[in-house]
Amino acid sequence: MTKAKPTAWSLGLAVLIVFPLIVTNPAWTSIGVLTLMFMACTTSWNMFSGYSGYVSLGSAIFFGSGAYTMALVSTHAHMAGGAALFWLIPVAGLVAMVIAVPVGAIALRVRRHTFVVITIALFFVFQLLAINASFTGGAAGIYIPLINWGASYYNVPFYYVALGMVIFATLLSAAVRRSRFGLQLLAIRDDEDRALGLGVRVTAVKLTGFVMSAFTLGMAGGLYCMLQGQIYPQFVFDPTFDITVALMAFLGGFGTLLGPLLGGLILEASQQYLTESFSNGSLYLILFGVLFLLVILFMPQGIVVAVSQWWNGRAQRRELAATTDPAAVGANT
Amino acid sequence: MTKKGRYLRAAGVTSVALASLAMMATSSGASSSTIAKGKPVTIGISLSLSGDFSGDGTAFKQGYQLWADSVNKSGGLLGHQVKLDIVSDASSPTQVVTNYQKLISLDHVNLTFGPFSSLLSLPAARAVDRYGYAMVEGAGGAPSVFQAGLTNLFDVSMPVKDALVPFAKWIAALPANKRPKSVAYVTTNDAFTEPQIPVAKAIISAAGVKTKYYSVFPAETTDYTPIADAVAAAKAQVVVLGSVDVPTVSAFMQAFEQAHYNPQVFIATGGPDQGTAFSSVVGIKNADGMMVPNAWYGSATTPGSQAMVAAYVKKYGGTPATVSADVAEAYSVGQITQQAVIATKGFDNSKIIKYLHSGVTLTSVQGGVKFDKLGENNDATAFTFQWQGAKFVQVNPTANKASKPVLFPKPVWGS
Amino acid sequence: MLDGVLTGSVYALMATGLTLIFGVMNIINIAQGILVILGAYLSYTLSVHFGIDLFVGLIITIPTLFVVGVVVERLFMARLKGPERTSMSILVTYAISLIIEGSLNMIYSINVVQLKAWYVDKSFPIFGVYLPYIYLFGFILAVVLLTSLYIMLYRTRFGASIRASLADQVAAALVGINVARVSTICFGLGIAVTAAGGMVYGATNAFNASTSYDLISRLLTIIVLGGMGSLGGALLAAILMVTLGDVVAVVWSPIWSSPTFFFVLVIVLSLRPQGLFGKQSARVA
Repeated sequence: MTKAKPTAWSLGLAVLIVFPLIVTNPAWTSIGVLTLMFMACTTSWNMFSGYSGYVSLGSAIFFGSGAYTMALVSTHAHMAGGAALFWLIPVAGLVAMVIAVPVGAIALRVRRHTFVVITIALFFVFQLLAINASFTGGAAGIYIPLINWGASYYNVPFYYVALGMVIFATLLSAAVRRSRFGLQLLAIRDDEDRALGLGVRVTAVKLTGFVMSAFTLGMAGGLYCMLQGQIYPQFVFDPTFDITVALMAFLGGFGTLLGPLLGGLILEASQQYLTESFSNGSLYLILFGVLFLLVILFMPQGIVVAVSQWWNGRAQRRELAATTDPAAVGANT
Repeated sequence: MTKKGRYLRAAGVTSVALASLAMMATSSGASSSTIAKGKPVTIGISLSLSGDFSGDGTAFKQGYQLWADSVNKSGGLLGHQVKLDIVSDASSPTQVVTNYQKLISLDHVNLTFGPFSSLLSLPAARAVDRYGYAMVEGAGGAPSVFQAGLTNLFDVSMPVKDALVPFAKWIAALPANKRPKSVAYVTTNDAFTEPQIPVAKAIISAAGVKTKYYSVFPAETTDYTPIADAVAAAKAQVVVLGSVDVPTVSAFMQAFEQAHYNPQVFIATGGPDQGTAFSSVVGIKNADGMMVPNAWYGSATTPGSQAMVAAYVKKYGGTPATVSADVAEAYSVGQITQQAVIATKGFDNSKIIKYLHSGVTLTSVQGGVKFDKLGENNDATAFTFQWQGAKFVQVNPTANKASKPVLFPKPVWGS
Repeated sequence: MLDGVLTGSVYALMATGLTLIFGVMNIINIAQGILVILGAYLSYTLSVHFGIDLFVGLIITIPTLFVVGVVVERLFMARLKGPERTSMSILVTYAISLIIEGSLNMIYSINVVQLKAWYVDKSFPIFGVYLPYIYLFGFILAVVLLTSLYIMLYRTRFGASIRASLADQVAAALVGINVARVSTICFGLGIAVTAAGGMVYGATNAFNASTSYDLISRLLTIIVLGGMGSLGGALLAAILMVTLGDVVAVVWSPIWSSPTFFFVLVIVLSLRPQGLFGKQSARVA
């Protein structure tokens, strides 16, 4: 179960592909787009943080940079609103990667615990710049050209682009995991000093992973900007985005391939749905906090690991039942 | 486990997933513009019931509800009872977009009303524009909202950039021997607040009043002491503070008092209008003489205002002075939509949009409403209010009959 | 400038709690911000409903928050194990902070309040400027508490075991120190200081539950700049942050006051990744 089978993966993909064809209502497809966007972000985040153990709480730096790239390029180039804007999404990803180089170079000079806090500090530098610098449009934000697609199918192109990003991020993450490079990241997570002793060039490996993970995050920011039509600095450089992405990965299974996908799917979809249905915001905060606490305390390794352990345990018990006498099994369960 | 068993299970999971998808796949699309007799008219609204704007969001909900109550009591809208469909957006522009799509395509609301604040009004208007719905809103008057070029957006309240105009004109019109000589401007870089300052400054400077200090501070500032100290050190006779909330004003007032700096005039664009939420934080004594621009207050004499205030007090308690201007803004949204629906004899959004753009003058508890092609209300009158003793009174425009004389100069702190 | 040193000392007090918790337990307590607000609300309740003076009320609020800290540590922190402990602690304390935020919103509503006393509004002249009494009193309070904390750490047996745990948990356990008990008490102490910090913060700023986000981001940057786990570093970084911000706000523009601080932080970190006074991790090659 830890390694989900190819059939399961393709079935999951099939469901995601047909979803907007069956569920055409924009009320659901809009949640679908955002959910896929978070699945891509979390997978990409996990490709660095999950494999290396360096938990970044600065992913909004890249998401926000991507969003601003989309907004600034499309308005300065006087682009017409429409599908052509999709071409800016990879550009947004590349800009995010470029920004990730100095950010990573500074933040990765320290070990994991301090790294967490430094990413938070760097995040605030970017947020303050976005609010205060003149070229960003300040606190009033920027709006991009209107996209005149009909309401009933407006979300669908975004849905498939976001799905493409999920597939890309997942394949990349899987490829990294199987590569020599991925093993080096995992070695750093297990014991950085030992990895160093074994000749892994830890700094270069960490920085490469960090920069790679910025690409999908930047693309997601570009997509978000285009989907919303306008951005505000405090909502694209959003500290809750930093925490949400990390939370999704931990919820699903930190460092696994399926975990971040599952975490993103469960959390974003339920959050969008619950917020609109819950009228008491304070109660919502409390319930969300309690639920979140229970998951961390009782499934510290995430849903994927917890479920597979339970599953394996069941299979073992079943085998036991087949081979040993029933009394012993009774004591076991 | 056998390969076949696994395959069967996977197929089972897929069919469950597909079945649940099919259940979600209800018919989409907007509702028709005619409503069957006896059926209510539903109005979709997303409000910030948690998060940064939740205070205002709650007041807006009350305003919308009071309007719906009053319509329903008098037979409804074209004979249909009004039903409000309110969802929460947690002050997030992402959620607000999701919410309006749900309201229109899943709940099939007939009309939409705006959320709270400029930050949310623009994304919301863009989303409902795709459905051809009108977005009549009461809080979203920042210049950036109108520049986006949406044709379905209407703000019934005063465009924010003009808010300080009556105040600036009052300063400019003071006799030369009484007119203050110097002024300090300090404002947060909020999209709603900052645009008001240059407009006021132009009028005041033209009257020969010197600018001694001008500074913009970031919205996320927490420690106002150094900025307030710098303002105090400039010793200007007038302070114009661009603020959005009570804590900011309270911090400046406290720092001024501590620095023994007593300006003759102190106006803040937001905060002193919050009724007891303001006076209980700064104290009644210090509130005395504080000024604030706004479009409405609890003792307003505009048609319908007092009836609304009475209904508010009856339903939610408190006194007329505690009724927030947000309530009137939301109520006005209802009133304007009501007039458009009656004039167009139906709930066809495209007709409503056309009607609201036709240059007709409508009425609301906040006064006259007339939209330009951007959806700004050019008929709105800005007022200035001042705390005088424990009372909150209208003082500008001076030509207005209901205006009381300004308490000038402002009493010193703590007296 | 004087303001800066005085306010800085209060931030130092709050940040000391955070850095102590990190140093001993490797836990990053995101809930520190909301606990400061909780402390402020407790003082608010005592002064408004029971007429107890803000400073006298600390006799009640400091022990209360100490108990809160001990309970949270026993219930949640002690359960965190394994290599992802620090990361998990961020998530757990974030969840706790959401729960407290929601509860405070329900109890006190989201309308901001400010603590009131005669010394909050009054000031006295010194060196040609007026200094509010609350700044002086807050400063004295922070100095007294920080000094007692230092005396406890450097002059008592228990302090020695805390310092030993700060230096090396494994070694501390080997010489017979009950690290679990030290951790619990440290967490309690780290939280208890928020009662005092919250009271002074609440008297100098109007606040509600969401003010905690500003607070926690400031406190985190203070302890990073000072060096995580360094008590002296937290003190110096807090004063540096507040004064630098004030100076930039006055001589340049308030807009650039926070960015300047963060730029300084980034520069310091690129030169000294461990912060101003951070001990370089023993195992870094």
